[in-house]
Amino acid sequence: MPEPLLRVEDVVKRFGGIIAVNHMSMEVYENEILGLIGPNGAGKTTLFNCITGVYKPEEGRIIFQNEDITGLPPHVIIQKGIARTWQKVRPFKKLTVLEAVTVGALLRTPDVDEARETAKEILEFIGIEKSRWNRLGSEITLIEHKLVDLARALATRPKLILLDEVAAGLRPHEMDELAKVLLKVREEYKLTLIVVEHVMRFVMGLSERIVVMHEGKKIAEGRPEEVANNPRVVEAYLGTKPL
Amino acid sequence: MPGTLSKKLALTKERLYSLVGLAIVLALVPVFLGFNFYYVLLATNVMLAASLVAAWNIIGGYAGQLDLAASAYMALGAVITGHLLASFGLTPWIGMFIGAAVAVGVAVLVGYPTFRFGIKEVWYALLTSALVVIMMRIYYLIYGSFETYIPHMEPEWLYLTFRRYEVYYYMLATMLVIIIWVNLKIKDSKLGYYLAAIREDELAAEALGIDVRRYKLYALMIYAALAGLVGGIYITLTGILSFRLFDPWLGIVTAVMGIVGGLGSIGGAVLAAVILRSLEEYLRGAIGATYPGSHLLVYGLILILVGVLKPEGLASLLDYLKKKIIRR
Repeated sequence: MPEPLLRVEDVVKRFGGIIAVNHMSMEVYENEILGLIGPNGAGKTTLFNCITGVYKPEEGRIIFQNEDITGLPPHVIIQKGIARTWQKVRPFKKLTVLEAVTVGALLRTPDVDEARETAKEILEFIGIEKSRWNRLGSEITLIEHKLVDLARALATRPKLILLDEVAAGLRPHEMDELAKVLLKVREEYKLTLIVVEHVMRFVMGLSERIVVMHEGKKIAEGRPEEVANNPRVVEAYLGTKPL
Repeated sequence: MPGTLSKKLALTKERLYSLVGLAIVLALVPVFLGFNFYYVLLATNVMLAASLVAAWNIIGGYAGQLDLAASAYMALGAVITGHLLASFGLTPWIGMFIGAAVAVGVAVLVGYPTFRFGIKEVWYALLTSALVVIMMRIYYLIYGSFETYIPHMEPEWLYLTFRRYEVYYYMLATMLVIIIWVNLKIKDSKLGYYLAAIREDELAAEALGIDVRRYKLYALMIYAALAGLVGGIYITLTGILSFRLFDPWLGIVTAVMGIVGGLGSIGGAVLAAVILRSLEEYLRGAIGATYPGSHLLVYGLILILVGVLKPEGLASLLDYLKKKIIRR
């Protein structure tokens, strides 16, 4: 096995008496698409927030490229190369599409013109029409929001992107479009993706490997079809058989 | 390198022309007022308000923090410049920069913990409003209710003790143009983009690598420095040092003008300051004497009307006019 890009080691995160993430461990390898699934309240988003620095885990370590990044603030984590998108879109409403992506690109350069050029390249690559670039964040559709969110994250030149429920609220054909964009983006920018998702069709089709979380722990791991037939996973989602 | 420096100082053509146009108009105002003492004083007061609102636009408009302490930073600049002049005979040309530096120091002392503990929105407004009162009490503890007067000193140009208001008018008008220029430069820079992102969504901004606390503090420091400089010029105009300079009402009015102007629009902010400040004085003169206090009533009604009819502020009106002109 090659050295993993990201290693989550025995991470614990509590909120008062509730243990949201309970001794969770997993590895993510370079250039793969990892699906992270689990029923509601399994701790997926909390784990995301621990990795991206929004929360500081109580126990355990998070290692990225052989460097301990546990507890670093979000603006430092992204400099190391971990970007994210949001479950609930967080648009810059009064900025245009182009300006929003430029903000992301400014992480790697102090020069606004240069950042704007980077932003244009990424928007073009992702496939947002030029006529939409000068629209404000308050004027675009949900799928465009998701794409802009992705473009913003890409503009920071990450190695790993964490996608938090990107498919939520999208129509089936929009999901297919998004999946295509994600595959294209991974190819072009040599990215690794972690996809947290509820929409099974989307995540099963896109991921090469799946990690299943339940009650803050990893209960299964493997290729999509293996995981789907794992009795523990079925149990976590549907409950036990009635006697 | 001179090449990069001149690039850093330059503005886009359209903006440069607007700024030069504004400077010419401002330069001609006293001529149109016939160098009338009273009217020039009024115009000076309008410049003062506009400068303060333009400085506030950096923290309030760009960074989106509802700061009500404009008068605290202005008064700090004023009392330090004033006392250095009155007690030590130090020229305000140097004093105002010391005043501005102290204002920045206080801004850091207050801003660092404020942003560290994530105080924002109404709580930030309350905190900054309290800051004005606290500064006022501190001044009161030191100097009591005594008022210190700055004597007339020669040469006038060194001690800024002129007998005519035109000079003060031109100083504040120059200050206004400089502050607008600073605003425009910030808007086009990395700092401007980052402040806008912070204003729109702090969490998303942080996830894109923006050190939110640090950039908020930068905005606060620039704003405090500019407000302090404005205060330094203002004190040479009035010449009276008193705890009343720390005026909570002025802090609120500054924010109100900035909001009426349309958050983040420097043109709207300055326009709002000019209109509202002139209107306030006009109403005071026209009806304030007959029915004391009624000018504030009318003033308040106008603010409500603007809020209802143009919640986006005067900036949206400016945009509308610009589009109309371009279409022709």
